Amino acid sequence: MATAAAFGVTPHKVSVCVLLQMYAPPAQAEPLFSVSQHNHLGLYLLALTKSHGDFLEPKLADLLTQLKEISGSLGDWLIEHLTSRLSSLSSPDDLAALFSEFRGILGGTEPAVIEDNQVVLDPNSYLGMFVRRCILAFNLLSFEGVCHLLTNIGNYCKEALSSCLPYELHGLDDSVNDLESSSTYENMDLENIVFQKVTEEMEANKQPSQRNSFHLHTPKALSGLVQDIEILAGSISNRAGKSGETCSSLDTSASGARHADTSGDMFLRTTSQLQGFFMEQADAIEKDGCSFPLNGFEVILNRIKKLAPELHRVHFLHYLTCLYHDDYFGALENLRRFFDYSVGIGGFDITPVPSRSKGFERYETGLLCLGMLQFHFGHPKQALEVLTEAVRVSQQQSNDSCLAYTLATICTLSSEMGSSSTSGMLGTSYSPTATIGTSLYFKQQLFVLLREALKRAESLKLKRLVASNRLAMAKFDLMNVQRPLLSFGPKASMKLRTCPVTVCKELRSCLHLVSEYGSESPTMTIEGAFSTAWLNNLRRPMGASVLSLDNGVGEGSNAFQFCAQPSSIPRSVLQLVGSSYLVRATAWEIYGSASLARVNSLVFATCYLDASSSSDAALVHAKLIQHLATFQGYKDAFSALKVAEQKFLSISRPVILLLKLQLLHERALHRGNLKLALQLCNELGVLASPFNGVDNQLKIEASMRHARTLLAAKQYRQASEVAQSLFCLCYQFNLQVENASVLLLLAEIHKKSGNAVLGLPYALASLSFCQSFNLDLLEASAKVTLAELWLSLGTNHAKRALTLLHGAFPMVLGHGGLELRARARLIEAQCYLCEPNYSAVEDSEIVLDALKQASDEFQVLEYHEMAAEAFYLMAMVYNKLGRLEEREEASDSFKKHILALENPQEEEEEEDEPVSEMLVEKN
Amino acid sequence: MSSKENCRNELRTAIRQLSDRCLHPAAKWAAEQLVGIEQDPAKFTPANTRFQRGSSSIRRRFRTNEIASATPLTPIAGVSYVSTPVMEEDEAVDNDFYLLGKTYFDCREYRRAAHALRDQTAKKSVFLRNYALFLAGEKRKEEESIELTGLGNSESTNCELVTIEIELSTLRKNGTIDPFGLYLYGIVLKEKGNQNLARMVLVESVNCYPWNWSAWSELQALCSTPEILSSLSLSNHWMKDFFLASAYQELKMHNESLAKYEYLQGTFSFSNYVQAQIAQVQYSLREFEQVEVIFEELLRNDPYRVEDMDMYSNVLYAKECFSALSYLAHRVFMTDKYRPESCCIIANYYSLKGQHEKAVTYFKRALKLNKNYLTAWTLMGHEYVEMKNTPAAVDAYRRAVDINPRDYRAWYGLGQAYEVMGMPFYALHYFKKSVFLQANDARLWIAMAQCYETDQLQMLEEAIKCYKRAASCGDKEAIALQQLAKLHRELGRFEEAAFYYKKDLERMEAEEREAQNMVEALSFLAEHCREMKRYEEAEVYCARLMDYGGPEKETAKNILRGIRGDTSLPSMDVDHFRP
Repeated sequence: MATAAAFGVTPHKVSVCVLLQMYAPPAQAEPLFSVSQHNHLGLYLLALTKSHGDFLEPKLADLLTQLKEISGSLGDWLIEHLTSRLSSLSSPDDLAALFSEFRGILGGTEPAVIEDNQVVLDPNSYLGMFVRRCILAFNLLSFEGVCHLLTNIGNYCKEALSSCLPYELHGLDDSVNDLESSSTYENMDLENIVFQKVTEEMEANKQPSQRNSFHLHTPKALSGLVQDIEILAGSISNRAGKSGETCSSLDTSASGARHADTSGDMFLRTTSQLQGFFMEQADAIEKDGCSFPLNGFEVILNRIKKLAPELHRVHFLHYLTCLYHDDYFGALENLRRFFDYSVGIGGFDITPVPSRSKGFERYETGLLCLGMLQFHFGHPKQALEVLTEAVRVSQQQSNDSCLAYTLATICTLSSEMGSSSTSGMLGTSYSPTATIGTSLYFKQQLFVLLREALKRAESLKLKRLVASNRLAMAKFDLMNVQRPLLSFGPKASMKLRTCPVTVCKELRSCLHLVSEYGSESPTMTIEGAFSTAWLNNLRRPMGASVLSLDNGVGEGSNAFQFCAQPSSIPRSVLQLVGSSYLVRATAWEIYGSASLARVNSLVFATCYLDASSSSDAALVHAKLIQHLATFQGYKDAFSALKVAEQKFLSISRPVILLLKLQLLHERALHRGNLKLALQLCNELGVLASPFNGVDNQLKIEASMRHARTLLAAKQYRQASEVAQSLFCLCYQFNLQVENASVLLLLAEIHKKSGNAVLGLPYALASLSFCQSFNLDLLEASAKVTLAELWLSLGTNHAKRALTLLHGAFPMVLGHGGLELRARARLIEAQCYLCEPNYSAVEDSEIVLDALKQASDEFQVLEYHEMAAEAFYLMAMVYNKLGRLEEREEASDSFKKHILALENPQEEEEEEDEPVSEMLVEKN
Repeated sequence: MSSKENCRNELRTAIRQLSDRCLHPAAKWAAEQLVGIEQDPAKFTPANTRFQRGSSSIRRRFRTNEIASATPLTPIAGVSYVSTPVMEEDEAVDNDFYLLGKTYFDCREYRRAAHALRDQTAKKSVFLRNYALFLAGEKRKEEESIELTGLGNSESTNCELVTIEIELSTLRKNGTIDPFGLYLYGIVLKEKGNQNLARMVLVESVNCYPWNWSAWSELQALCSTPEILSSLSLSNHWMKDFFLASAYQELKMHNESLAKYEYLQGTFSFSNYVQAQIAQVQYSLREFEQVEVIFEELLRNDPYRVEDMDMYSNVLYAKECFSALSYLAHRVFMTDKYRPESCCIIANYYSLKGQHEKAVTYFKRALKLNKNYLTAWTLMGHEYVEMKNTPAAVDAYRRAVDINPRDYRAWYGLGQAYEVMGMPFYALHYFKKSVFLQANDARLWIAMAQCYETDQLQMLEEAIKCYKRAASCGDKEAIALQQLAKLHRELGRFEEAAFYYKKDLERMEAEEREAQNMVEALSFLAEHCREMKRYEEAEVYCARLMDYGGPEKETAKNILRGIRGDTSLPSMDVDHFRP
């Protein structure tokens, strides 16, 4: 019964068989078409039986339209023949006769008897198998079944007849094109056409895919690793794997609507086609996140559920949609439903799983998925409970691969969620507030766990898992020194360093993944099912959906094209590799190489955007825009932001919204609009979750900005309070990279409050942090601050400050942003001016040059306060030199900036889009 | 009294009218209620009232109520009652074709009946034709669903729905539709998924013609929440009470439902239907003794009844009455073996005998007869758990839950199955669901608490909370108190532990149970009281502890010695305390 359920005879299959009969006519009949037409028909039929663009079998009307398009002038004949054949069936016996005729399509096992002109289907070819399965299914039918088939065929024809007419008109102008184009293929055999079409399609696909690629988003932090693992885990449960696809997914809402009004007989496609459909949809959901049309797809799922209640994968898709639309309860229910059902009997997808113990292993997978669900919705405690259970159960069942995936997930979870929420689970005591000791201990544990996970994945040869574990490892290396920092100070600092080399090594070995998939694909045995599915995909025709995309422009030849993926690498792998580039970009950001960070982001944006998840895409946009802001000022950044906002639509809140707030805050600070700045940084703080230990990055960012705002408002005491508590937070969670910048901020506060002596130790501590973590850019800026501090201690320290500054210059000028560069220049000028043996007349050029550059860059940033200072100094120098005209100019600029600083609101009003408006629109 | 007579007359007419329209189930129901009305003892000989049950005081009380309140309920019935016979009189002499159609219908040749009635315009014939068409479609649908297993299209639909809907909707627009037509229209709309309109149409139907129980039950199936139920605008009729009682029952408002049924029993005191429904409610309230009494009586009056007997078998199963269950199984088997209920009863019997494979076979048969038979799915899950086939059990429970998400037993079963597989955290979700639906069931709370207590989770605080709930729900097996005491002791909260031990002790005394628990409680309390320097109390506990042999006796002696030492009283011979 099970096999019959998977492949039943339906009217559509009968008509495909009839077409096949025309494709391979019996010996005595003359073949009526040219070779190219013949090939077209064959390809079309192949496409028809393999495509999984939809879940329902096409109606006769659709079939006829497509026939018309592919075979041009012969289409009429084909249609005529097909419809007459189908409508001539009036009794069950006619059907029996028809099916016994079908037997003639197939050749015998011995190829001897074939005549010259005759086309015979190889019984073992794909189409031959199709016919054989149809015949077998028909033979298995009871009499009632035959009667059903008969009535269904009747309905099938009836529906088509009413809608047949318009296509007659449509077909006429196409036919000329068809003939032309088809003649070019006259001498080609089937294979050649396939490959030609593949390459053509690849080229044709490039543009649309680039166009579509920005249409992505979802909230997610630094890495898309979570999603990667989700995909990986998904592929445990369906070993058949995710098939990479580049073709645009079908417009589900439209097709949902299309099917909703037809209440007649509907038949699901074969299970393998359905499986492909499900895979594709799952991919689309994961890629598009919350922009995936919910309602339309829900309709489809419900219909499939109704038509084939035994296909439990529907529940999984339901779960995915709920997950990405933030419907916690729906997701929970559907996930549990899927695993409850699929364990008992299972849908079709249970077959490739090597069953060890009656499919018990699916329960671990269930736990794993549940853990990731809880993680996704921000319940780390529950997620950890579930995942520990998953570990336990998979150990009991000795399901190693599931264990490896679970460990990897735990690593991700614990590295993202911070220590306080996880320390309890990782073997230490259940203390609600993590002390520093446990947090260090926790980091060690995490490291051990990561190593363990990596080892396991390697020994099990789970390549993608290895890659993602390496990625996690790289992230760990990036953010933590490998040995606990029990005592921190300049003495020990040399030993306790993170090593950029290891980070790069990990990241690079992550890239090997691609080459492995590229080179040894056919021999891949570990995930055999996966690769076969994917090899099939290589030639997977998408006839149906291509046709529907074509809008009937009249290009008959284009209408019939094969669409395959441009590369043989599955999408999830590409995604993983893409996120490794993202991590690289971040790593370089931290290490302080702006250009390398930018290059890596650009590589990601150009090469992996199609495959990446929407959150990654949004993230990379944010990175690039931020880069723009620091290096080219706000004007460019805001115009780029506008573009990005449009591309990511309104749903893409968190990442883009965060970016916008950051930029606005930065600009408000520079312009001296402190009220607005305060408001903005408060809004930033609201974005973070109220729970302790969650969203730490965001919280730190918010209070850092708060401190800076207070500093700008000259409320030193409050600013230093905020910064102190921030330092405590960072220390508690062992966030050493952040520590460095907080210390620098504290130094800055002390400097501004005129307490340079107190500022010095902070600056030095920050410096040593930077050195041990290789934070070169931050180090440079710490040196600049240090120079400022020395300078403010008195003019006799100007020399020392200047040497310090010159030491930092290569880094500052090479990688620093506008602000840092300008500041460094300004201080340089100040140093020169302070030097006792400085003479205005001789060395004026050096100073003026530095001041000019500084003032230019500050102007770009609209940093009025500093620009005013630069112009003030400039005016003084000119005054000394007696260049009055230039002095006036400089002093005018000075005045302008001072005025702008005093009335920040005016400037806002001049803007074409006031900030208040932007804020409203965003909310 | 007059109201009873009224009811009787109304029902008599209704039965005839319903039978004329071949609405047999509704006619059957009405006839059952007709004979269920209490006979007037003055008019009838004692022979007629011989099976009058010992009229309890409760029933008497309700009878007086009923006399007071029955009169205001009936007037609307009078109105609709007038309208119906008027319609009847239009065709005082039945059309010949109608007669032919009806005979075909009675022989279950529905299509033929519809064909015979094809050109008839009388309302009765029109209804009968459509109804015959509908049933023909239903029959075909049933057949198809069997034929189609294997064609990948397992959900077949009634293909006549569209034609019927078109005709009936035009009739309704013209205003020439009768209440029966509305009823049929309602069913068709419900089948097509148009719930709101279906509800409206059915309300219209029952307001015009309240005696059609089938219409009421269709309406009841459409009332999935109390809000929907209260939003219906139903005119007051005594049939509405039947409807409300059954709707309350379905919505798990057991007490309201019971009150309604008991009120109805005032008039319909012999109605098997009302009795069975009361049993149903009592079963939900877990009053098994009462259910058993009711069913024994029901079987005496109506020995060939199969409906609701599966519930009776559940009760017998719970009480482990082997012979009674086998007797019942034999009886229903002889009556009608191809009823899902019969299969379920037999399966229950085998399950009680511990032959789980056979039980599963019969449950499967029951499910083949009715694949939405909720109880069978749940019980089959239990069987699979017994057979250690947890995946199958999970599947069965899940089906039950998907059929009716308010079935707390299946949720509980799911939880148990996962707990058995060593996934207590995963199981918790299901336990939570079940206690949410049945918050006053101590067993569920205890199961959840045990889940929290497992070695893997060790979430003792949560376990304590659950046990507390269980104890407050009246935990019959007295696990909760004992566990509470134990847990508190483990967590080092001795005051609380002592409190619960004392409570447990009191309880054991009240129930006169002697167990190891008693010793445990006593020895803890003795020790604790000594620690707290409440020596007198400690001595009392020690004295009681001395009644038991074994090592406890020695500990008791030691404690007593210690007390003596503490209080620095002159040392006495402890054996002196020996009783």
